Amino acid sequence: MSVHYFSCHECDEISKVNDIYKPGRYKCSNCGHLLFSYRPGMIEKIVAYNLAALILFFVTNYFPFLSFHVVGLVSHANFTTSIYYLFNEGEYLMGGVILMTTIIVPLSRIILYLMLCTPLYFGYFPRYATQMLKLIEKFLPWGMLDVFLVGVLVSIVKLVKMGTVIPGTSLWAFMIMVFVLAAAQASFNPHQIWDIIGEEKRKAGKETMV
Amino acid sequence: MRALEEGLGTCPTCHQMVKMPKRPGSKYLAICPRCQSRVYPRIPDSIQQTWALVIASIIFYIPANLLPMMHVHTFAGVESDTIMSGVIYFIKSGSYLIGFVILVASIIVPITKLIILIYLLISVQKRSSLKQHERKKLYRLTELIGRWSMVDVYVVGVMIALVHFGGMMQIKAGAGANFFLLVVIVTMFAAMRFDPRLIWDTKE
Repeated sequence: MSVHYFSCHECDEISKVNDIYKPGRYKCSNCGHLLFSYRPGMIEKIVAYNLAALILFFVTNYFPFLSFHVVGLVSHANFTTSIYYLFNEGEYLMGGVILMTTIIVPLSRIILYLMLCTPLYFGYFPRYATQMLKLIEKFLPWGMLDVFLVGVLVSIVKLVKMGTVIPGTSLWAFMIMVFVLAAAQASFNPHQIWDIIGEEKRKAGKETMV
Repeated sequence: MRALEEGLGTCPTCHQMVKMPKRPGSKYLAICPRCQSRVYPRIPDSIQQTWALVIASIIFYIPANLLPMMHVHTFAGVESDTIMSGVIYFIKSGSYLIGFVILVASIIVPITKLIILIYLLISVQKRSSLKQHERKKLYRLTELIGRWSMVDVYVVGVMIALVHFGGMMQIKAGAGANFFLLVVIVTMFAAMRFDPRLIWDTKE
């Protein structure tokens, strides 16, 4: 039981929290912004969700995504086909941004989460934990798989008017992955891991002092 | 009790409170002991940078709406679609829901975001202390809705991936899509550079 002080990220007000390991949602006393929420079992949940998401990510990229039929002509698309055609046509900006926001950022976030939380789950302290957690936080707004899902749904409705659209295995995997990643994000509380990192640094500092 | 008045800064990465060195001016910094990030009491030059990015995205927004988002090549000729003509097409052909989604994602969201950011910037520069809670909510809104404008860009991407039948029928990206992409990215950076704590800094 130690008293912690938090300064609100939105309004700079200092709030006092008596026990940070009591389950609940903690809000700023001035503006009501959520400071953090604590629920036990976070690391287990993060590992489980991200392991599921990693498997689903490979399924999404391996199987066909959508097929399109118009008067005898057929075209198949994988998850990355749009990026391939955009680069072929010289639309490097669009292709690059779609590549970043739907492949590189989500995949590296999943891998970083796993690299950070799997050792913690087994009771070890991972190397480069600070750098990994920093990257996870920086990448947060740039992973746009949920937006991509809406984009895919809109374009399916658009294409249905021209011909027949057949959803492939990977579309279903992709939909599940979006929800799994949202669940993982909702259960993630960076403060808890920052606390572990701070504790570890204090220990390391003491050892070198002695 | 506010952190600034107590001489404390908040680490932007790990949210730890850090004691700031006592030096005049707004650009002094400390290093967070826990994660080695740079800690400023407020984001440096927040207002100037946000203004610059907002103005840039207003400029990008004009060609994004005027130039075509995509070209549909068929044996009958080339058809070009801008954002607005796409919305009108959907509403005319009866799919109101999709028309509404595109209207919200690619027209209402970017404009709302820019108006909110301009309002926040002006009110912060005037050091207004009115409606702080509402303004804070508006800022949260801009952060939440910003990414959803990307929907239109992804729609163009998926259409390109599926419709490529050589001379029969082919879809190509237009210049408008690139500008629209820039609008979305630049407004996202603008919202990140704005420091919401300035809303509460009303005392001289």
